[in-house]
Amino acid sequence: MNRPPDAFPRLPRSWWLKHRYFKAYMLREATVLPLIFFLLCLMGGLWALYRGEEAWAAWLVFMRSPLVVALNLLALAASLYHAATFFVLFPRVMPLRLGRRAIAPQAIVAGQWVGVMIIGLLFFWLFGRT
Amino acid sequence: MSQPRPSSRQAFDEPLWWLLFSAGGVCFAVLLPATILFFGVLAPLGLLPSNAITAERMTALVFSLPDLAAIGALICLPLFHAAHRCRHGLLDLRLGNDGINKWFMYGLAALLSFAALSLVALGLWR
Repeated sequence: MNRPPDAFPRLPRSWWLKHRYFKAYMLREATVLPLIFFLLCLMGGLWALYRGEEAWAAWLVFMRSPLVVALNLLALAASLYHAATFFVLFPRVMPLRLGRRAIAPQAIVAGQWVGVMIIGLLFFWLFGRT
Repeated sequence: MSQPRPSSRQAFDEPLWWLLFSAGGVCFAVLLPATILFFGVLAPLGLLPSNAITAERMTALVFSLPDLAAIGALICLPLFHAAHRCRHGLLDLRLGNDGINKWFMYGLAALLSFAALSLVALGLWR
């Protein structure tokens, strides 16, 4: 009797090192690691703010340490890499039409970057002005 | 039985995790770059006006009802996004047991989300 074909063949743990697309996939997956670090920093800030003025000042000092700034710069780069790969997926997963005409994929991608800019402007309006 | 087999039970909960993952992915892509830029880079480097992020102003801003939604979008959903990717990363690397990883990851995301939202609610109450 022939064995039925295996639905889940066992892959070696290093399967993703074998092709650059797989490596890019794993890099994209790994963008959440610096994100988690930043989210924990943000939660620390929330906790500091709850405790009071001194704790908030101490949190700002913590955020200023070189290693923390370096990790958050990495998180910023990771968020932009995630955005760049995520935005091109949108028109592929859900092509939009306006009446009978399809909206160009590039326009959908550009629209999402405009969203990123708008949030940036909102933050500037909230925290960037004197 | 050395080969892993798909469970015969239907995974009724998976759509929820994928929904939270997608919502968190949108937040990570659209909202987080500015958040990280302002609070992870510009504020620590002293590039923001000094009176913009004083404890007094931040307290008024953070402990408010709209901020409950903001924390949901800036912390809670990205946490579930990260948890989902960590779970699937472990699956990709064949580390641990997915049944355990799953509850550990989503459990941690839920716990931290609850903590973040509670902090804002407690600050509102005060």
